[in-house]
Amino acid sequence: MSNYFEDLAHSVIAGQQDRVKQLTQQALDAGTDPVEIINQGLISGMNVVGARFKVGQMFVPEVLMSARAMNGGMELVKPLLVGQELPSAGKVVLGTVKGDLHDIGKNLVGMMLESAGFTVVNLGVDAGPQKFLQAIKEHKPGVIGMSALLTTTMLSMKDTIEVLKEEGLRNKVKVIVGGAPISQDFADEIGADGFAPDAASATDLCKKLLA
Amino acid sequence: MPAKSNYVANATPLFSILSPAQCEEIFLAAEEVLERTGVTVHDEEARDILKKAGCWLDGIRVRIPSAVVNQALNSVPKRVTLCNSRTGSRDVLLEGNNAYFGTGSDTPFTIDPYTGRRRRSTKQSVGWACKVIDALPNLDFVMSLGIVQDVPLLISDRHQFEAQVLNTSKPIVTTAHDIYGFADIIEMCEIIAGGEEELRRNPFMTLYAEPISPLQHAWEAASKLVLAARKGLPVVYTPCVMAGGTVPATMAGVLTNGLAESLSGLVINQATREGSPFIMGGVFTIMDMSSTIFSYGSPEFNLLMSALADMAHYLKLPMFGTAGCSDACVVDEQAGIEAALSIAMTALSGPNLNHDVGYIEYGSTSSLEYLTINNDVIGMARRLVRGIKVNDETLALDLIDKVGPGGHFLAEDHTMKYFKTETYYPELINRQRYDAWKENGSKTLFQRANEKVKDIIENYQPEPLPQDVQKRIRAIVERAEQKVH
Repeated sequence: MSNYFEDLAHSVIAGQQDRVKQLTQQALDAGTDPVEIINQGLISGMNVVGARFKVGQMFVPEVLMSARAMNGGMELVKPLLVGQELPSAGKVVLGTVKGDLHDIGKNLVGMMLESAGFTVVNLGVDAGPQKFLQAIKEHKPGVIGMSALLTTTMLSMKDTIEVLKEEGLRNKVKVIVGGAPISQDFADEIGADGFAPDAASATDLCKKLLA
Repeated sequence: MPAKSNYVANATPLFSILSPAQCEEIFLAAEEVLERTGVTVHDEEARDILKKAGCWLDGIRVRIPSAVVNQALNSVPKRVTLCNSRTGSRDVLLEGNNAYFGTGSDTPFTIDPYTGRRRRSTKQSVGWACKVIDALPNLDFVMSLGIVQDVPLLISDRHQFEAQVLNTSKPIVTTAHDIYGFADIIEMCEIIAGGEEELRRNPFMTLYAEPISPLQHAWEAASKLVLAARKGLPVVYTPCVMAGGTVPATMAGVLTNGLAESLSGLVINQATREGSPFIMGGVFTIMDMSSTIFSYGSPEFNLLMSALADMAHYLKLPMFGTAGCSDACVVDEQAGIEAALSIAMTALSGPNLNHDVGYIEYGSTSSLEYLTINNDVIGMARRLVRGIKVNDETLALDLIDKVGPGGHFLAEDHTMKYFKTETYYPELINRQRYDAWKENGSKTLFQRANEKVKDIIENYQPEPLPQDVQKRIRAIVERAEQKVH
């Protein structure tokens, strides 16, 4: 079976969705435990992808192709996980803050988190404090991530943190921030739990905060 | 004199990326994007204007028929002039292949010339930057080289403009947070120019605004295009697109998508008031797929900039280009290489108003030393563009014969007449011999630039605005501050 998983992991790394689906189906037909397929095949492949991206051996589109391949396998396995939780590294709510429509960076963070096994709730753009508050109540994430490109809109991050305090939710969720004008100093100043300068380090930061 | 027929001379070097046929192909493709895919416009007034102009609306989605684009291209002026704010002198003629250079605007960070440390930009750092730009002869216009962040951020644009206009008389390309900030800045400019019409006749300020790629005009941007048109003041509209990220990874796809963003901005502007001055911008580059930065130094960035300049010349639109900037995090060899390539290519391709000189760290940080070094690079590039003049006087056959084998040209009138105009002498670039260089402290280019920057900050006096004008500008800044409290 170990060769099987190795083959599956390699196909994830190579971003071959059809091959991943085919191998996953074969494994399922052979009666392999779905959780094993996920952990030893799909996710173990994705872990290699993450490590390679970090050292510059893989590029963003390749990572996203691998994630797409992994998800192709996941779709087949998911219906069979009756009564079992799908393994997740944690849940993250993401949004570009109020007044700001810039979302390529935030979307990139979302995709990188998903490819690292996180469940991501993407609030889109122009997300004010109430939208984050609502999402926290509804989805109970471990982390919320706020993004801004402008010095005028980054102020909304502080408003959201204040609203969380007022609602007594601040200690229930970790808050991370990012975007071109954001720095560690700014994150400290507004009382965020962390700052990440790019999508890969945002993933590491979420892992650290939820460990 | 013999008859000299069919003689073709290159008055300057010839340099182009796209042929006219390729320009047409890309332009028509951009028109197809606007008709088929359209753009989103997040401003109701702008949507109404577009609808009246003949565009098709579907909620906030606006599709623009090619005829409407063509009409905007017909009504937009082919030239824009920017003036000196103190004298009204019409110094910057944005037309044809004239290439002018200036700085960039909204970096969150700057390198402090006294400590060498990267810090948040402030009103003081912006004032210093504008003094340095004012003092450097090869810089033609000013952008702030930092966001003012030590004042209330919601109205920091007023402070930023005040810091600029007090410290330079060169034309200013400024940003504003929204139309309210823009209106206050226009009011300041009208005071300086001596009235609304005076400002329109001799504009010394143009606003910088940008869409959000791909194909989105946010409320801030669309409403600025409308206000600029109503005021008859020039506006720069600059799509910042990332190949493989917000637009296709292929260079032709980048140009098509970016151009569609520019042209839809042009339509909003011209449909508001035909004949409004409009400057097409474009920072077209790649997303580096390893670090995910928006690259300011890649070869594709330069290639796309020169290609867009070809497009602008083809469409007869004044263009806002980008040069003299780097992805390097400090002013190092990489920064020098990237500035030299981009400034040379820009000067050779001739986009008109070229900004971001002095940006490092992929546009996040400004450096006055880098700016000062690039002042020399611009001088060198301008020399390249002047090309080689070939005629009887420059061929100098009589002189060559007079001096003859084994002679020298050092003491000739001809040499005296031409050595300075034919040769460019940079200020900071080293051409000293080793011993003289050592004697002078063995300084690197960066160290010499740092000394010059500090000398300008401490000793250079920009032409001041009259006291009463300064007071009235201050009053507008204070009025905005009170509103925010």
